[in-house]
Amino acid sequence: MANLRAPYSARRLALGVFGLLLAALLLFPRQSQGLFQYLDGPVGQVVRIPLEIVASVDEGLAGIWHHYIALQDVQTVNDRLRQDMEWLRGQNSQLREAAAATERLTSLLQFKAQALPMMMAAQVIGRDATNWYRSVILNKGDSDGIKPDMGVITPAGVVGRVVKTTGGTSVVLLMTDSNNAIAGLIQRTRDEGIVEGTHQGYAKLKYIPLLSNVREGDRVVTSGLVGGFPRGLAIGTITRIDKEEGALFQTAELTPEVDVSRLEEVLIIQAPYGTSGEAGGGVDFAGKSRP
Amino acid sequence: MKIVIYAAILLLLVPIHTTMLPHVSVLGVAPDVGLVIAVLIGLMEGELEGLLVGLAIGWLLSMYSAGDLWLSLVTKGGAGVLAGILGRQVAQVTPTVLCIGLGIVSLAGGMVTALTMKAGGLEDVWWNMRTIVLPQACLDAALGAALFWLANRRTVMDRFRVAERF
Repeated sequence: MANLRAPYSARRLALGVFGLLLAALLLFPRQSQGLFQYLDGPVGQVVRIPLEIVASVDEGLAGIWHHYIALQDVQTVNDRLRQDMEWLRGQNSQLREAAAATERLTSLLQFKAQALPMMMAAQVIGRDATNWYRSVILNKGDSDGIKPDMGVITPAGVVGRVVKTTGGTSVVLLMTDSNNAIAGLIQRTRDEGIVEGTHQGYAKLKYIPLLSNVREGDRVVTSGLVGGFPRGLAIGTITRIDKEEGALFQTAELTPEVDVSRLEEVLIIQAPYGTSGEAGGGVDFAGKSRP
Repeated sequence: MKIVIYAAILLLLVPIHTTMLPHVSVLGVAPDVGLVIAVLIGLMEGELEGLLVGLAIGWLLSMYSAGDLWLSLVTKGGAGVLAGILGRQVAQVTPTVLCIGLGIVSLAGGMVTALTMKAGGLEDVWWNMRTIVLPQACLDAALGAALFWLANRRTVMDRFRVAERF
């Protein structure tokens, strides 16, 4: 029975190869991953073709459904209003931050550069290939100048950051993933903390000083201290504060500003403190021209 | 011919996983088609092919996921090898046997992933087990059994018949 399918040596060879691979991954993690990453580029370009075809078919079908079958007029108006609302939210957040910063000696801050980071528009063509991470796949990659750790936003606020790139695609870890961490700032109290995702799909602001008078409804924005984001981009609104007895810090639960389950187009921040003349791809902050 | 079929599977797997499966997920969990295919190939074609296809699947899926490369390679490649070895020990592979086997392999792979991921503690690991590992194992088992049943009805898979083994 044991010899019906493959010779015995095949099993030994398979086990040997698997053992070698395990040993290589454990003993030389950087070198072995580097080899695979070297091959990622050309393979990624090949895989990108069916991926984009299927994504465009999927998008087309979704478009037909939304625009011609399910409440044609209401959907159109709704889409436009939602876009406007997102744009206004983004503007509102930027203006609030600008006003606060102006009060604290604006000459010390490079506002012009901050307001106009170098950005590139990209389209969402898929979601994480496993059930383990909250991430999306974009149709821009290495060949477009996208690098890991670049920030990703919509006009409404922060989406996440790039964690992986191939030739023509990149993977963005969403801010609601528990592996993500973004430096945040409570807009009213100016207290800083770290924004992390939760399993439930929310986000939480950790390491808020105990003496902070943070309260529900406070808005949290990027602090701009680390990572690929400029200061003042909307992250979310505080909905609950956890203050455990004996703890050194407070923790707050956030509702993200961006609905990450309905992303279609995003902006990748290639340089958080660029200048208007360098703006990549000619995209303004809102991603479109506005009156 | 076999290589062409494998290449087609690998090319279509990424779009299926990243674009189509999110639409048909149950409570936010989709079956791991890559794992199911690696196991089926390991079972039908032996552990070496199971390993190689499993590794290729693991590598490709890790390119389009935020997860680590090594974890994907080990779970998918390991599933292919394990299926090949287990396939030799079973007198007759039926959809029920495959369903149980796939469930166990998926459960093992999911547990490895859950334990190696950054987690806040046992509470997070248990959450992952409850919301991802167990439902995914059930979905994988059902999908694998369904695919095997379909293949078994359309083709004659002699190698799994006891009578022809003796």
